[in-house]
Amino acid sequence: MKRVFAVARNTLREAIRDKVLYSILFFGVLVLGMSLVTEEITIGDQAKVVRSIAQGAIDLFAAIIAMFLGISLVWKELDRKTVYTVLSKPLPRWQFVVGKYLGLMATLVVEVGILLALYCALMTMHQEFPPPVVFVSMGLLIAELALLTAFATLFSAASSPVTAAAFTLSVFVIGHLADDIWVFGNQAQSPAMREVARVLYWALPNFEVFSIREEAVHHMPIPWGRLGSALAYGATYTSAVLLGAVMVFERKDIQ
Amino acid sequence: MSTIAADTPAISIRGLRKVYRSGFWRRAHVGLDKLDLEVHRGEVFGFIGPNGAGKTTTIKILVGLHQATEGTVQLLGRSHRDPAARSRVGFLPERPYFYQHLTARELLRFYGELFEMDPGVLRRRSEALLERVDLTRFADVPLGSYSKGMLQRVGLAQTLIAEPELIILDEPTSGLDPLGRALVRDVILEERDAGRTVFFSSHVLHDVETMSDRVSILVRGKLQGVGTMDELLAGRTRHVELRLSAIPENMPDEAIFGELARRSGTTAVVTLPPDGVADALAWCAAFGVAVDQLTPVRASLESLLLDAVERETPVDAKRMGVLA
Repeated sequence: MKRVFAVARNTLREAIRDKVLYSILFFGVLVLGMSLVTEEITIGDQAKVVRSIAQGAIDLFAAIIAMFLGISLVWKELDRKTVYTVLSKPLPRWQFVVGKYLGLMATLVVEVGILLALYCALMTMHQEFPPPVVFVSMGLLIAELALLTAFATLFSAASSPVTAAAFTLSVFVIGHLADDIWVFGNQAQSPAMREVARVLYWALPNFEVFSIREEAVHHMPIPWGRLGSALAYGATYTSAVLLGAVMVFERKDIQ
Repeated sequence: MSTIAADTPAISIRGLRKVYRSGFWRRAHVGLDKLDLEVHRGEVFGFIGPNGAGKTTTIKILVGLHQATEGTVQLLGRSHRDPAARSRVGFLPERPYFYQHLTARELLRFYGELFEMDPGVLRRRSEALLERVDLTRFADVPLGSYSKGMLQRVGLAQTLIAEPELIILDEPTSGLDPLGRALVRDVILEERDAGRTVFFSSHVLHDVETMSDRVSILVRGKLQGVGTMDELLAGRTRHVELRLSAIPENMPDEAIFGELARRSGTTAVVTLPPDGVADALAWCAAFGVAVDQLTPVRASLESLLLDAVERETPVDAKRMGVLA
């Protein structure tokens, strides 16, 4: 595992020195500014509106960064040929993929942490400190990003960056529409369509299982029951997708 | 770390075949065709061939970057498919690329960690190598600002970080200035003197001739010859050069035996085929011409390579002026 952590550390260091984190800070400040403007034009529970906008922005920006970094994860190594001197060492390819993935996840945890800190600062300005449910929702966001990043890793190991970006974005969008596929499928007249919808619902990832945004925005109790199943779902699905990425990369000729 | 029998080859390649498939119809292109090769331990082995011959493909298979279609490859007695086989191998790719965000010191540390080296040993080894390639002053500068020559020096340092028994270099002197080339040559010869095996490909045939204990020639994915320079060039004396003096001044150039290379009054240099020496000496005796020097001129590695390319080039390609 020493080699896995060496690759992960190097990936995290590369992300930090590539100044990707600074773009997150920029967006964080942007969200902060936007919520202050919104506060001025809102009637009623201003804090709730600020919470809603900030939570949505964190979810969106974190997903964009996860996709961006995930797609470039393996591809950049191949394009810049840095992989030549790494894979020619006694490093099994699966350790390389897992190390890169863990490094990227560490980067995302740091980024979400920064956004969360900004969020806490923002809410403190409104005389309230976020309750535990907000932190739990951020934990689930990390679980969602873990799955999304695993897909990005799989696609970037298997294809070009443009194709990988298209597939990853598709998975992200479809993954957030999974519940709608179920609902609309059940309302279809044709039994065949209902069956297709059912198969799609179970085969495609469902990112909505990770969302407890409503609970976080309205400061509701933590839904412990959903939390456990969401984490189990995320761990299983992420492992399977990552395994697929490893299998693809194991057979790849490095050009 | 297990010990290796002294007679175990550094590299053993048996029936290696690599077929690439490309295009919509997945058309097959043979990159390597039944390659058999053995590199002995402790030797410097030169690997030459024209562009597209399969040298880099072979090297990429050796170091685990490409999968072989058929055949077996062993590095120091272990299958090349086993990543642990690379624990005693150092590799420098052609035009090495490194993480630009790292400094040379950080890069060596990272690569050392991939070998699971002891941190103390790694630190000492890194400093010694930085000193050896004259980069200590720039050890904390990001590699993104390094020149090509400096990157090649970092490349050499990372190749040697784990004190490999087998060193594989792909075009190590490509595009380097004379100082860079001299450094690469020094490193290769020093490593050989330290008992390590060096396997390198190159287009710089002079380097190959002067440094290699043995050489192999690859053309269109097929091995065309392996051996020492003497073995490869045996029986390939191209011509004999005669240095003559006391030539009668009134003797016209065309009357001199052999092909006249140059003449200055009563002295001249002529070349002739190896089987024409006896007739030439008889002619000299008949006309009172002295033979000052008789030099058999051996074929060069270049001529050997060109002949191999010529043999392997299909007739159609020759007609179109394509060599390889």
